[in-house]
Amino acid sequence: MTDYGHDLLFGTFITPTAQPAMQAVELAVVSDRAGLDLVTFQDHPYQPRFYDTWTLLSYAAARTTNVRLAPNVINLPLRMPSIIARSAASLDLLSGGRVELGIGTGAFWDAIEAMGGRRLTPGQSIEALEEAITIIRDLWAADIRGGVRVSGEYYQVVGAKRGPAPAHPIGIWVGAYKPRLLGLTGRLGDGWLPSQAYLKGGIADLREMNQHIDEGALSVGREPSAVRRMLNISGRFSRAGAGFLDGMPKQWAEQLAAVTLEYGISAFILGAEDAGTIELFAAEVAPAVRELVAAERARQSV
Amino acid sequence: MNYGHRLKFGTFITPSSRAPDEVVALAQRSEALGFDLVTFQDHPYQPALLDTWTLLSWVAGKTERIHLAANVLNVPLRAPAMLARSAASLDRLSNGRLDLALGAGYYWEAIRAMGGRKLTPGESVDALSEAIDIIRGMLDVASAHPLRYAGRHYLINGAQQGPVPARDIPIWLGAYKPRMLQLTGQKADGWVVTHSFLKDGDLKSAKRIIDEAALEAGRDPREVRRMLNISGTFSPGGDGLLDGPPARWVEGLLPLIVEDGVSTLILMTDDEPTMEQFTGEVMPALREAVNRELGSGWDTGEVRSTRVRAKRRAGLDYDALASSLAEIAVEPGDVEFVRVKSTYMRGGSPAIVFRASSTREVVEALAFARAHSHLPLAVRSGGHGISGRSTNDGGIVIDLSRMNAIDMLDQAARLVRIEAGARWMEVAAALEPYGWALSSGDYGGVGVGGLATAGGIGWLARQHGLTIDHLRAVEIVLADGAVVRANEQENADLFWAVRGAGANFGIVTAFEFEVDEVSDIGWAQLVFDASDIAGFLEDWGAVVEASPRDLTSFMMMGGPRRGQPIVAQVMAMVDSNDPETIINRLQPLANTAPLVDQNVVIVPYSYIMANAQGDDHDGRGEPTARSGLIRHITPEFAAAAERMLRTGAVYFFQIRSVGGAVADVAPDATAYAHRSANFSVTAFGVNRERFNALWEELYPHFEGLYLSFETDQRLERLHDAFPPATLERLRALKRRYDPDNVFRDNFNITGPTQRTGETSFETSTRNA
Repeated sequence: MTDYGHDLLFGTFITPTAQPAMQAVELAVVSDRAGLDLVTFQDHPYQPRFYDTWTLLSYAAARTTNVRLAPNVINLPLRMPSIIARSAASLDLLSGGRVELGIGTGAFWDAIEAMGGRRLTPGQSIEALEEAITIIRDLWAADIRGGVRVSGEYYQVVGAKRGPAPAHPIGIWVGAYKPRLLGLTGRLGDGWLPSQAYLKGGIADLREMNQHIDEGALSVGREPSAVRRMLNISGRFSRAGAGFLDGMPKQWAEQLAAVTLEYGISAFILGAEDAGTIELFAAEVAPAVRELVAAERARQSV
Repeated sequence: MNYGHRLKFGTFITPSSRAPDEVVALAQRSEALGFDLVTFQDHPYQPALLDTWTLLSWVAGKTERIHLAANVLNVPLRAPAMLARSAASLDRLSNGRLDLALGAGYYWEAIRAMGGRKLTPGESVDALSEAIDIIRGMLDVASAHPLRYAGRHYLINGAQQGPVPARDIPIWLGAYKPRMLQLTGQKADGWVVTHSFLKDGDLKSAKRIIDEAALEAGRDPREVRRMLNISGTFSPGGDGLLDGPPARWVEGLLPLIVEDGVSTLILMTDDEPTMEQFTGEVMPALREAVNRELGSGWDTGEVRSTRVRAKRRAGLDYDALASSLAEIAVEPGDVEFVRVKSTYMRGGSPAIVFRASSTREVVEALAFARAHSHLPLAVRSGGHGISGRSTNDGGIVIDLSRMNAIDMLDQAARLVRIEAGARWMEVAAALEPYGWALSSGDYGGVGVGGLATAGGIGWLARQHGLTIDHLRAVEIVLADGAVVRANEQENADLFWAVRGAGANFGIVTAFEFEVDEVSDIGWAQLVFDASDIAGFLEDWGAVVEASPRDLTSFMMMGGPRRGQPIVAQVMAMVDSNDPETIINRLQPLANTAPLVDQNVVIVPYSYIMANAQGDDHDGRGEPTARSGLIRHITPEFAAAAERMLRTGAVYFFQIRSVGGAVADVAPDATAYAHRSANFSVTAFGVNRERFNALWEELYPHFEGLYLSFETDQRLERLHDAFPPATLERLRALKRRYDPDNVFRDNFNITGPTQRTGETSFETSTRNA
């Protein structure tokens, strides 16, 4: 049992499809109106059927009022860290503090290279991510004197001016699965953002992954709870479903509450392509999970 | 010299990161004041400024009409392939409002500090030139191959083009020095400079260099719009070029436009009163002064770029297009072409597509088509036609999708006017608040025009009849360009012909329908084990025929799949919101065979029609579909259908119930004549010859066909679609209304006996 005690967040993972033209934006607006906490878009800049995620995110932010938005996760190899930092801070300022930064090492190297990006080995890409996170955090730290100097193996920033400071402390959420990147997430991340679909052994994989993050955090003197654990989920609402997230909303709620209490996941981000599913998730699943988790946490604290 | 570009005005707002709300408010104010364009400088190394791309995207979401541009974008810090994707995205999201202004970079130390590469001025021009090629390459969505580009500064190794922007995004360059000016002439669609950076005579020499470079590159200098960032103060006493009362500004700006060819002026200010004074007192006076100076008709509009003109088709006189038609035309070289060339089921490559927004434009486009009578002419509403050839190869398409208004005419009489380009899901959604519906077909993406001139066999057919049975009047553009109204009183014979053979008589631009009161309906999706195909078909048909009219049911099957049981998908709509009635109607259906899956809901009719995906079509090839109308599903027919299905040569087989109210209308009341059939049978085959041979087995059972679902080109099909008397009357009317057979590419009723051989049904469709 590992519950890190975070308040719960519920969001959507919306395909940034360019066709129909306004579908992704409309689903973001639906998520916002439904009262969800998060709207996220995957970022695969080599995928021509998708919108550029940062452009879409910025546009969708302008079309929504309360919901927070994040790339899930942004493709570092095709974007310069200094520009990511300025862009994220800018959007955070424009949106009144509604931006978070999901970030990943990149994985599809052929496609990245085809777009003019640099091919890295998995190990190198983790080192590059560490450099990038340092650059991004340093550029946001506008209250520190002097320019940012990071003379890395992959990125060289030589005296870039700091700022603008974002409107709120933007969380850096790392998409990670393997021990080394999980360790980095523990050391440097504010959040961890894996996808259920990539858990080879199912939800139970979360236990060991959490341990790597915890160890990473502890290794630099951080509390494991400094890293929020999130999960991209997929499922369907059905009358008589049998499996995980295949059933009525009540059944979903029980399953998700168990994931929170058992594995410490405190943000559930649903891959959804239609308004009805999003509304149902917001109206019937989210409050029920919150209720179940609150009750159990209260019971345990007694 | 002036280039004939319409005058445009923009603002240049400081993208301050300290006051983001004010920046956005000034952009919105620019739009409200009537500026055409809002621009922001881009200096990513400067933290006092917001990231310009993020800001542009945000402002796009907060404005409706105004164009957006960086002024100018820092290319050294923005990778070109990514920039192209971002630009296409923003252009599409903003509905075609992005202009892409690029710069080579200037503050190299700051660029390097951010992690960019320091270049010499010469290298930076080369890099920008490469970046333009890459951006154009990435935006070339019609390209058959992924982009490969090996430059000295950039390497692209097989990147897939896309997404498709809303339009051809113009690329502008900020250029001062000769090499940049040459590059502008060679590759750019626009040139943007800041007036205060120029010395006397710079505009003239720059103009010369750009024009010469353009000509040398085989381009027309008019392809490059000239833009100027200007700043100044309004003061009663001042006497500088842009320092003085508005009249002094006008006087100072006039020669820049008339002599130097500037056509966009971008006001650099964060001061709202200055913006207001500029739009109020400078813009109108300047427009007037330019008109006075250059004389009327100076504004010849934009010219299509050499790149676009290079993809023009032979046989069409593109240069003869009036500017009003040129503006609504999509040519093969235009980026939007990929969206309009094909239809839902059919690949196409027309020479030109006119996207008409008004009857006047339809008339104009039709006149152009008549002047090109050697080319195929297709008319498109929703682009879902199966028989309807709403695209072609090398011909003309008149696309009505922008004419999609739905208006109430008379609430008491339930009379509604619907333009041809509306889609049926939009119609259903618009009628739902009144508790009304109009039966159309089974798919919401289908356009009104094609279906409502052919028949309309929909979910409420047995209760409420065909779509055309609700038609009370049409507005139609005839072959000679006349716009007429047809109803039971006025042009009654035309009104008769339009209801079943409309595509042969003109372009119906609007329909007036008397729609039905329809409450929420019962909707069932049932999946049956149909291992006994013939037995199932027979039983389903018998139940449907025996059912009260408030039930309409469609049945679908695919070809057999190895290792999978044969199932039939049955959809049924019950025109009732009473659960008991619904169950009573469905029970006999449910008893026909073992149920594999079922789902029954009570929902508004519009929910069922909201089933279309996407807004663009990218059909490929040619569909092969056959249609037949049949009185009863007899054991003989069912057995023949089973034999055909078991061959695997048919991948889609559908039977729709008709009868009921459809049969209440006399066969000679409309051009759609086969009123006595209880079922409409449709199948899609893979191999045309084999499929046609199999269909021959079913053919004797039919008593006609529904032309919307028939792709066979043979002349006999005309006689299947129309009984002799109907066809005779149609042909007589055709000779009156369309003697030259202008409308021939969709089930042409003109027979081979017609004088001109090329107009026969068979030959006219050969080039389709």
